[in-house]
Amino acid sequence: MSAATLLALQDVHAYYGNIRALKGVSLTVGRGEIVTLIGGNGAGKTTTLRTVIGLVRALRGTVTFADQRIDRVPTHRIARLGIAQSPEGRRIFAPMTVRENLELGAFSRADREAIPQDLERVLGLFPRLRDRLAQKGGTLSGGEQQMLAMGRALMAKPDMLLLDEPSMGLSPILVETIFDIIRNINQLGTTILLVEQNARMALRVAHRGYVIQTGRIVLEDAASALLRSDVVRKAYLGEK
Amino acid sequence: MSDAGAARRLPAVLLVAALLAYPFVDRWLQAQTVHAVTDAMIYVLLALGLNIVVGYAGMLDLGYAAFFAIGAYTMGLLNSPVLGSPLYGHTWSFWVIIWIAAAVSALLGVVIGAPTLRVRGDYLAIITLAFGEIIPVAIRNLGDITIDIGGWKPIERLNLTGGENGVNPVGRPHLPFVHFETDFIPWYFLILVIGALSLWAMNRMRDSRLGRAWMAIREDETAADCTGVNPIKTKLLAFGLGASFSGFAGSFYAAKLQAITPGAFEFNVSIMLLCMIVLGGMGSLKGVILGGMLITLFDRILLAQLTFLVRALGRSLGVPMLAAVDLTLWRWFFFGLGLVVIMLIRPEGLMGRRVRPPAADVDEREETRALIAAPPRPRADALPAWLRAASAPGARPVGAPPALEVRGLTRRFGGLVAVSDADLVIPAGGIVGLIGPNGAGKTTFFNLVTGLLRPDRGEIRLDGASLVGLRPHAIVARGIARTFQSIRLFQNMSVLDNVLVGEHCRLHASVAGAVFRPPAVMAEEARARARSRDLLAFVGLGDKAAETAKNLAYGDQRRLEIARALATEPRLLLLDEPTAGMNPRETDALTELIGLLRHELGLAVLLIEHHMEVVMGISDRITVLDYGTRIAEGTPAEIRRDPKVIEAYLGKGYEQELVAT
Repeated sequence: MSAATLLALQDVHAYYGNIRALKGVSLTVGRGEIVTLIGGNGAGKTTTLRTVIGLVRALRGTVTFADQRIDRVPTHRIARLGIAQSPEGRRIFAPMTVRENLELGAFSRADREAIPQDLERVLGLFPRLRDRLAQKGGTLSGGEQQMLAMGRALMAKPDMLLLDEPSMGLSPILVETIFDIIRNINQLGTTILLVEQNARMALRVAHRGYVIQTGRIVLEDAASALLRSDVVRKAYLGEK
Repeated sequence: MSDAGAARRLPAVLLVAALLAYPFVDRWLQAQTVHAVTDAMIYVLLALGLNIVVGYAGMLDLGYAAFFAIGAYTMGLLNSPVLGSPLYGHTWSFWVIIWIAAAVSALLGVVIGAPTLRVRGDYLAIITLAFGEIIPVAIRNLGDITIDIGGWKPIERLNLTGGENGVNPVGRPHLPFVHFETDFIPWYFLILVIGALSLWAMNRMRDSRLGRAWMAIREDETAADCTGVNPIKTKLLAFGLGASFSGFAGSFYAAKLQAITPGAFEFNVSIMLLCMIVLGGMGSLKGVILGGMLITLFDRILLAQLTFLVRALGRSLGVPMLAAVDLTLWRWFFFGLGLVVIMLIRPEGLMGRRVRPPAADVDEREETRALIAAPPRPRADALPAWLRAASAPGARPVGAPPALEVRGLTRRFGGLVAVSDADLVIPAGGIVGLIGPNGAGKTTFFNLVTGLLRPDRGEIRLDGASLVGLRPHAIVARGIARTFQSIRLFQNMSVLDNVLVGEHCRLHASVAGAVFRPPAVMAEEARARARSRDLLAFVGLGDKAAETAKNLAYGDQRRLEIARALATEPRLLLLDEPTAGMNPRETDALTELIGLLRHELGLAVLLIEHHMEVVMGISDRITVLDYGTRIAEGTPAEIRRDPKVIEAYLGKGYEQELVAT
């Protein structure tokens, strides 16, 4: 394992309910990288993310973050180690205001005096949220809720951000915006593991990619190489 | 009759033999348990009635004991000499009164149910709780009624309920050669017959149009409403029919005990009945019987026996504390503990249906197949003939009104205008795309057309007839079906039952029809099943009819939702992001399916979609909403070039992408 590796999954097996969702998944994410995990429905993408943050427990194999085993660490402590997640379907707190949602993201932080500064940083990334600070989360549009979920995750000032289907259900113009923001977040120094159905956009923004199929990694390469690969083009990009 | 058939019947035959022999064996052994077992069967009957409300229709009722009281007091009012009832004195027979009690309970069930039906979940529980408290209080206070209007006393010291003292005695049933006295065996057989008939009726109701509607309401009321199930009527039937069984149980209870006291119908009875259902397994008839028997017999027999044993043990060991213990005082402790343990080990109850996901290897093979091979292509020749006949394209006269005509549609939420003065026309057999940024009001538009929301202003016409003000299920009956952005199937029902709920609004079986199954109902049900199977085969789910809906792969769930919508025999289909979350191959197959439905059935389609290849490829015309207002309308080619649409929705990258591919 190279010194630059931030997150590593080694031969992870996990069940999701009664289904064997992961059957020996190994992948690494280097510090500063955007790595994308693409695959069909039920392939094990979300389970992989849930295993990283400890919501699903690996039966076999190891999960290492910043050279520390985290596969037996409780979820709330993993969050404090510097991993934040923006879950699929957003899961924002609808009756709370945008500001309260964002502040909750910083809940576990000790350096409370730095929070206003981070709020500024997040609002810089998502200018649309600034106009909506006093509005209730539930009244935001789908795209704004997605931004809020990502912003809330960033308020924890994580080293690593896990994104689950950020483009789901968004209009073409918003999909572009969201991927631009993902690139910006990464350039500001956050490592990203991105799970996406929209393989084309994901591979354009990522440095490297993995293709997961029925719980196994079947392909791994530089994102640009995957974009050119025959299998990916046929199965995930819909080209004939 | 084959041997295998006989073997299958063996357990049932043995059970009946055991039930018939039991009281005589009990007498021979001098165990004297028939009294307790008969009481247990009363509570089982009550629990079965409550199960219709809670287990089938999914409404938490915390005041069910009130209906038990109503059944009992109906018997008292009509059949006890102590009450000053003006109705007494007509020598009402027990055999007539049990039916009157059931009818009164059912009627009150409907009356109580009606105002509570618009509330859900917690609120419903609170209202039923209040009702359960009101009835015993009312009973206690109706024992001495005097109405005094300035000295004129139309009613003086009328005793309707016996007040705190209750009613004693109550008339007994009469049959030639059978004596309903202190010997409990005739009572046992009477409740056995009542229970068996009730069970038979409930079993048939569950497997009927009505039973499916109850379960659909339980699973997802909004989706059921949008699939043509009238939620108000369905829930009232659950309340009324559920209550009617407690009418039987209550009147039997009063006659057997020869006395009624208000204390027998308190809140803890309602809770105990709920415990029986939860312990046995909600919605499972066998489970409810088991749960009811276990709890009552534990209470009535086992605790008493245990107390006896522990005391004997205490005496022989010389421990005074044990020698004087009374375990029956601890019954709620044991109930609570037992329930906690069951919930931890088997949250679905002892006999509850545990929905198992498909075996892992089957799942894997399917996924691989789905990925490598193309998903099933829709075929025109697989289109069910009955659906063709129902839609009958070409029957439409020239110059007929458009399939859907929306004019000036407006809807506000507080200060926010979600849809503002929007127009949209879909010609018969046309496909219209509805696109726009997130939050532009597309789904609100759908909810207005399907009746989930009422417009503040504007006109919605289907084939020329106004739909404004109709409830969703009535709009489904007129011919509009929809699917949901986030799939909303009836998750714990079978794939086949999901489609059958879709046919609900085209079927006619009544409650009596469901129970007695006359030939017309049998034929209707058989036809409905055949039609549903045809539809499943058409969408490529023919081999999955018996699966539980939530176990289907994602793409299959989307197709099932479309099959369910088609089962309502729509003339207009509203699809809310049908290809969201589908892989490119599944998307292609679905696009083809939509085209085929239009081509073969003349079905008009309104489509919300973010996949531009789909919406641009299939739509005749596209309407673009932004901030609730229509900003553009035209052919796909016009929309693609419209600067306003590019600015608000498509983005500059979209043009580049078109050039790139």
